[in-house]
Amino acid sequence: MNWNIHLPALIIAVPLLGAFAAPLAGLGGKVTRNIWFVAVSIATVALSIMLWQHVQAEGVVVYVLGGESWNLTLPSGLSWPIRIILEVDAFSAFMAIVGSIAAMAGAFFSLRFMERFSGLDKFVSLYFLLMAGMLGMELTGDLFNFFVFLEIASVASFGLVAFWRDRPEAVEAGFKYMIVSTVAAMLVLIAVGFFYGRYNAVNMAAVARMMHFGYPEKIALVFLVTALAMKCGAVPMHMWTPDAYTEAPAGVTCLLVAVSQASLYGLFRVCFSLYGASLGSSVVPWTIIVLGVLSMFIGVTMAVIQKEIKRLMAYHSVSQIGYILLGLGVGLLALKDPQAMADYGFTAMKGGIYHLFNYTMYKGLLFLTAGALFYAAGSRNLNDLGGLARVMPHTAFMFVIAAAAIAGLPPFNGFVSKLLIYESTFAVYPVLAIAALVTSVLTLASFVKVFQTAFLGPAKSVFANVREVPATMLVGMSILTVVVIGLTLLPTWSLANLVEPAAKALVDQAGYISAVMGGGL
Amino acid sequence: MRKQEARRPAMTGNMPFLVVGILFFLGLYAILFERNLIKIAIGITLLEASANLLLIVLGYRTGGSIPVFTLAGDVQTMTLPTPQALTLTAIVIGLATSALLLSLIMMLYKHYGTLDVREIRRLRG
Amino acid sequence: MWSKVYTGFGYWDVYTWLIFFAIAAGLVLWLRSLGRKDYKEGTDQDEIFYGGNVVPEEGSEIQVPASSAYWGFTEALKGYYEVLVEMHSGDAREYVGYMVLTASVLAVLVLL
Repeated sequence: MNWNIHLPALIIAVPLLGAFAAPLAGLGGKVTRNIWFVAVSIATVALSIMLWQHVQAEGVVVYVLGGESWNLTLPSGLSWPIRIILEVDAFSAFMAIVGSIAAMAGAFFSLRFMERFSGLDKFVSLYFLLMAGMLGMELTGDLFNFFVFLEIASVASFGLVAFWRDRPEAVEAGFKYMIVSTVAAMLVLIAVGFFYGRYNAVNMAAVARMMHFGYPEKIALVFLVTALAMKCGAVPMHMWTPDAYTEAPAGVTCLLVAVSQASLYGLFRVCFSLYGASLGSSVVPWTIIVLGVLSMFIGVTMAVIQKEIKRLMAYHSVSQIGYILLGLGVGLLALKDPQAMADYGFTAMKGGIYHLFNYTMYKGLLFLTAGALFYAAGSRNLNDLGGLARVMPHTAFMFVIAAAAIAGLPPFNGFVSKLLIYESTFAVYPVLAIAALVTSVLTLASFVKVFQTAFLGPAKSVFANVREVPATMLVGMSILTVVVIGLTLLPTWSLANLVEPAAKALVDQAGYISAVMGGGL
Repeated sequence: MRKQEARRPAMTGNMPFLVVGILFFLGLYAILFERNLIKIAIGITLLEASANLLLIVLGYRTGGSIPVFTLAGDVQTMTLPTPQALTLTAIVIGLATSALLLSLIMMLYKHYGTLDVREIRRLRG
Repeated sequence: MWSKVYTGFGYWDVYTWLIFFAIAAGLVLWLRSLGRKDYKEGTDQDEIFYGGNVVPEEGSEIQVPASSAYWGFTEALKGYYEVLVEMHSGDAREYVGYMVLTASVLAVLVLL
């Protein structure tokens, strides 16, 4: 019995250890704390890649926390699982890789970005708690455990958004985010309570096995979809996104992007694996599609008029989430009909999931370049910046790559996933593809505006002393750039090995259930 | 005493779920329509209370005793222990959230000088 | 050629695109090389055209600020933008209000 079987628990345990030992590492001064910060982030990335390989080899991996054996899901003849079970299929492993790479890049970036501020022990602890919460959300197979990790991630992110306490706007952003997020978490808890009341089980596979679509399940579905769509930043619940993403420090924003993907993971786990075949009529898929189209359009039109660079990028974040919701909503729509799934549904799901990976990478990179501009030039207002490409060539180069990727320009990875989404949604309803294309054009427009005002143009005298950002910040940004370029040059490999198993695992509800319910002695 | 036994039992039945609904809507009303930040925080606490109450009530079984094997004695049914564990976790989470919420409100008061939610709107548009 | 992404309706190939881009870039560079070679950098030939006026030294005076970018677009969609920016009022209660509104609309649609 090799140690690979303990990987799901290790991936959650290592960031938790990082969080609680960070003050100890901070006792040794700045250097030990930075080394601890970087080492635990790299270890988490390595573990998530190993977990992905393990899942590729073994199929769905389960891990029983606290049981006599790691796979004893149904102990001693019981017919329902009684412990907290981590269930990792290909989609979860994919999300874990995406999240941990974004977290590592943010960690490298924050080493020098945050050095002028105090309280960095607590910053590192909160950062690791946020990472642990995100990974826990993605790896768990238990509904109440999902709620607990959702709250861990949320409370850690409240603290990190309001980290610059001396800025009134940061505290205001943290407060507003907290109000909306807590109401959403209570909705999730009530939905979990409904499931417990009906089935006396909170394990996702057990509930999915016993599910039949009556009134309490409908109300629980409504609560879960609304709360998790709010945590992703879907319109009309998106208004916390510009506030929170702007006021958080840039490395934290990079991680917050990955954390909202974890809520998106929760949404699709609920729709595909928990409800799946018993989803009833096509109201919920069409709702997700409509929310996606609204998010795309409202997000990008609000972004064109913004003056502050991170707020502009945060509105783009809302609009890119719309793409993912659109792709996966079309896949959900085609779930009942195998012919439709083969025609356009599976392509839409592949497009949505690939867009998830691409979006986290290039959006994280964009926020990190905005943070680099703030660190070097001291301002986030586009009216003040100008002509910085002469003194910050590396940052400008990486910004161009990220902006071309988000606008969906060929040959970058954003184009590939958007192409998959355009073509498959066109087969459902041409208006959806037209909305997606118009959004792409407006995205390109707003990033041309940002590039021209921040980087191009004549050199301003106030920026005479601006130099390129320090090396560790460049390392953080280059990690994401390397991944973006890798995804650009190797689309078939990433689609075949990363995205397609994830899409197949989402569609395969029976496999998800039988991994837990069929196990044990 | 005879009259009380002849009446329908009001403790079980659907009354607790009605209370859950009332608390939920009271909390939601406080969050949506109150202007003072502290009152919004109280609304959030009410919302958490309603969710916890729902979890506790779901575990009750009519005529059940405490779910401890060694102390329950000779009984037919026990109330379920799992929702009690879930509720304890949720209460602790609510405690952490309330503490952070109140400290953020304190810092907001220090920065803005007011507790009116309509004044705390520097981030908009 | 060797690594196509097959969508259901066509395909995308990165390396073919890069080869076409290289050919086009080669054409562009050849066209640029056909220009005049008697060009002196740093003299008046290098300055931008500023309507015949003297070019100011301070860079911030000749840059178009970001707030006035896309003026035509925002002016044409003024009605839409006024409503939209008003909706993003920054009032914390509206954030929760929109979520409750979405939940109730979705509940009506799902339960019926």
